[in-house]
Amino acid sequence: MDPFLTSRIMSDVLSGVTNGVIYGLVALSLVLVWRCTGILNFAQGAMPMFATYLGMVIFSSHLGYWACVAISMGAGFAIGGVTERVLVRHLYGKPELNPIVVMVGFLIVLEGVAAAIWSTQPRSFPNPFSTIDWQLGGKPIALSDFSVYKIVTAVIVMTAVAVLFRFTKLGLQLRASALAPEVSRLLGVRVSRMLTLGWVLSMGVGTITTVLVASNFFTGLTPQVMDGVFAFGFIAAAVGGLDSPVGAIISGLCIGVTLQFVGDYLNSNAILLVALAILIVSLMIRPNGLFTKSSARRV
Amino acid sequence: MNLLFERRRTILTVSAIVLAVAIAALAASTTRDAVAISVAIALVIAGIAAITSKDVRATHPVFTRAALTVTIVVASLVGTFYFSPTTNFNLAIGAAMSIVLLGLSFLTGASGQISLGNGAFMGVGALIMAIWANHHATTPIAITLLIAVAGGAVTGLLLGLPATRLRGPYLAGMTLAFAFAFTAIVNSFSSWTGGDAGLQLPNAATPPHWLVSLFTSPTSLFATNTMWLTDITIVVTGVAFFLMANLFSSRMGRAMRLIRDNDVAAELVGVALPRARVIAFIVSSAYAALGGALWTLINNSVSPPTYSFALSITILSLLVIGGIGTIPGAIIGGIIYAYSASVISWITSQTGLNPQGNFASQLNGIIFGGLLILTMLFAPMGIAGAVRRLWMRRHARSSP
Amino acid sequence: MSKTRTRRLAITGTALVLCMGLVTAGSSIVVAGATTHTPGVTAHQITIGATVPTTGIASAGYNEVGKAANAVFKYVNSKGGINHRKIKFILKDDCYGTPGFGCTGNPSTVAQTRALLSVPVFATVGSLGTPTQDAVRSLLKSNGVPQLFVNSGSRDWNNPSAYPGLFGWQTSYNEESKVFAKYINATYPGAAVCFLGQGDDFGADGLAGLVGGGVTPADTQLYSVAALVATSGASFGPYIAKFQSDKCTVVVLDTIPGATDAALGAALQLGYSPHWVISSVGSDPATVEAPFAGKVPVDPEVGAVSWSYLPASTSSSAWIPWMRKVLGADKADFPGFSSTTTLDGNMAYGVGFGVAFVEALKATGANFTRASFLKTLTHTTFTQTPSLVPLQYTPSNHQGLNGGYLTTITSATATAALDGKVYTTDSTPNGPVVSAKRLSSGIPSWLK
Repeated sequence: MDPFLTSRIMSDVLSGVTNGVIYGLVALSLVLVWRCTGILNFAQGAMPMFATYLGMVIFSSHLGYWACVAISMGAGFAIGGVTERVLVRHLYGKPELNPIVVMVGFLIVLEGVAAAIWSTQPRSFPNPFSTIDWQLGGKPIALSDFSVYKIVTAVIVMTAVAVLFRFTKLGLQLRASALAPEVSRLLGVRVSRMLTLGWVLSMGVGTITTVLVASNFFTGLTPQVMDGVFAFGFIAAAVGGLDSPVGAIISGLCIGVTLQFVGDYLNSNAILLVALAILIVSLMIRPNGLFTKSSARRV
Repeated sequence: MNLLFERRRTILTVSAIVLAVAIAALAASTTRDAVAISVAIALVIAGIAAITSKDVRATHPVFTRAALTVTIVVASLVGTFYFSPTTNFNLAIGAAMSIVLLGLSFLTGASGQISLGNGAFMGVGALIMAIWANHHATTPIAITLLIAVAGGAVTGLLLGLPATRLRGPYLAGMTLAFAFAFTAIVNSFSSWTGGDAGLQLPNAATPPHWLVSLFTSPTSLFATNTMWLTDITIVVTGVAFFLMANLFSSRMGRAMRLIRDNDVAAELVGVALPRARVIAFIVSSAYAALGGALWTLINNSVSPPTYSFALSITILSLLVIGGIGTIPGAIIGGIIYAYSASVISWITSQTGLNPQGNFASQLNGIIFGGLLILTMLFAPMGIAGAVRRLWMRRHARSSP
Repeated sequence: MSKTRTRRLAITGTALVLCMGLVTAGSSIVVAGATTHTPGVTAHQITIGATVPTTGIASAGYNEVGKAANAVFKYVNSKGGINHRKIKFILKDDCYGTPGFGCTGNPSTVAQTRALLSVPVFATVGSLGTPTQDAVRSLLKSNGVPQLFVNSGSRDWNNPSAYPGLFGWQTSYNEESKVFAKYINATYPGAAVCFLGQGDDFGADGLAGLVGGGVTPADTQLYSVAALVATSGASFGPYIAKFQSDKCTVVVLDTIPGATDAALGAALQLGYSPHWVISSVGSDPATVEAPFAGKVPVDPEVGAVSWSYLPASTSSSAWIPWMRKVLGADKADFPGFSSTTTLDGNMAYGVGFGVAFVEALKATGANFTRASFLKTLTHTTFTQTPSLVPLQYTPSNHQGLNGGYLTTITSATATAALDGKVYTTDSTPNGPVVSAKRLSSGIPSWLK
């Protein structure tokens, strides 16, 4: 068993899963916003980044890691709610280009303000979990305290979201508000509150993801920390289908593992190329994502 | 009544020509000869265009567009004689950017497709220009530009074919992935592309002798070189805009706009949807490649990291602020791009901010992003669209 | 109908007025740089400039270099300048030529260089970056502007026949690699050596120097900066894992600071601790250790061996206190610089080439042109410079410094000389490494 676990293939699988859960979480938060409010949130990485800065920089000097995370989460919820109320309200029902452009503008503004206040120099985010790989019989296995913490947190978040959506009344209300807002209103659902809640939830997932990414100890927290992760998460969401939370998670994991193998056996340039190829191929097979239920053909 | 107007028109035309000749004669000294004469020609054409009635504009639209293009191009060329090298450089960079914006305007505004990858298409054109110039230094500039455009068109075809079946966020996602993958493609073929370092053009483009001889007072190579590059760019920009203006109002342009508004109706009417979409992609990427190739010419080098995803976002943002789906919008966007840095540094100096500090260096991005949000929320058709709306409102009010 | 006629008349009239304006304006054609005296030089001032990254992701640490050089110029100005001319140093930000979201809309290197040419400047001094400076070589050459002391170890700056005004300053990448090879063969004979380098001439020259110096790596990996940024360093994991499975006991890094961090971090995760030999480009401890602060018990770079052509911050060279004095006097750019502030490699670098320019200017005399300045530069040996060996250019060699010593990283902020032996070598892959016969002597009296 030992040689297998420390083998190159297993190392790639384990590292790939550790990366893949992050992509899956980003994809999940994108799907949440899309399903609850029909908006594609390009600032999905930048908004939690800002919240994480608030949590870490303003309060971190005397508090521990968990307090910082809690404050970041709170800030993330607040940012999500305020953004929905103030900015996104005006975008419902508009042509597809409008929300994309507005959220891109928001992304630029957030990264600019964060860099203006806190500069682009990387800050080291505290991390209570060791990132040293475990050793099995003298050889390293691609798991450490930190990577296990990442995977466990991701699983908890994904399960929580799934449970909320499928099995609770709140989840039903959220889904109904997006699909049939008029009918929901008639049935007594506070639709506008549900829309805000959709953004708040998605920010919650996003902030946890950003905290995990920023804790990566040798790159630290910068205003651009989520840019690369967002790109891969967006690709995962597109591959899995923006309507499918399950698809988001599965495609995130698969992409994470595949790209890890590509980076190891080929070279680091091939990573981006293969990601593009995966996207094109899966969109050719199913233009609305692999896991979407096929929609009725018009006319 | 008709006869009276005919006579008026003739008198005006004759007066314009007489005035032009008079001014050319007055300004006749060896150095400014050619300058003054070209000004005079511009004046004559301006007079013709001004006099051209609405009937002519309706029955000879191509001629009117050509006249307008020539007027603006000639006037700008005259201007480059007098502008400083810095202004010429900014003008050239902005003009090349406006070509790119024009292509995206066609794609997004005319056919309703979203592309977040036009920065990468620019990069394709820029690299092809540099690679070709390095291997075949004697090819005339015009031919090399065309080769770069062809390369851009081919790339547009390759990406446009899968794109036909995609909608909204998925199309955005695919073009985004392409923008990110472009850097990887550049690095994979680094022996051709120079990787992150890029390539330099073997020789700086020098102006022809007859152009330099127009200056009497001593002028530097820096000034004449920059002027020559700017002149080339302006002429190419004029041609590109002329072609696009005709495309917008052609049958194909109308078909595209129908697809954007209601693709089911378009299909019913007989428009071949996938084909039209692919053509739009090809046109947009060809234009982007042309803009990138011009940048390589102006900068005398290509730096692949410039053509990043951030540039694609900048391009989209400039077009949104200028006005999607319009031609003036592309021009406005180009001007904004060329002068945003100077405006920001002026603001910085006025408000006493530390120019090396954090806030000043991010000011460009913050203002840009803020402008983008405000434009999309309150004036989705951009500056050009807002102006057009004001114009329409004024005309509607004044008509009986 | 009358409205249309009015409109037509208005358009024609405007066109006429515009034409008149242009013709009258034609009497004053704008001319740039057409002066008979040396551009950028007046009786009381000499203007120079540089394009450096001061914002953006690639600027970490680099923004100090230009400021430190400027501090030298300010100090010299405070003593009356050189031959009664004060030095004005204009720094333009080019974001290292990689405009990203941190640098939205920032002018490119070409645009900023053109802006400097429009000032005009006498020369560019200490502009940073290999690709960025390659891109403006022909622009500067065709305008006759010297491109001095480029901040990069590439051999591109040593091309006197094609670019007579182009000069490097620091030691080249393959020079330091040859000395690394000598050190590795002497200290770890027979060890398996692995090499990680940047996928451009930085890594290629470094590898050539290593091989030419007598060390052939068992495994060689090249990384791209784009992938480093896109994956936040995660792409380095497989490289280091390969080195570990190859059982390399010595790893040579030709990396920029961000990549050094990624490599050290990956090794920490794998529990792999080889002997690190790191290029001077990416070894400055203050920059490299920052992300690890407070997270690991021992800073991973401690014990690594690197190369320096300037005295280490803990050395006893007389230049070190002089540097501190000069930086401390510059309250605008180095506020609160005290005796306890870390004097890091970036600051020392800026002071190094700042002093080189000032000494060259002094040696040229009161009346000079660009041509006479370059002649002085290539026919003088500057023995009283901060660098460990004298600075010497010849008409056929524009590379710059050719010597230095090995250093070791002693803490998160300090380096020390390894054994204090100064070596010189040339820029060819196979040239021998010899002990330096001539070392720099102290500070010139007019500069003290």
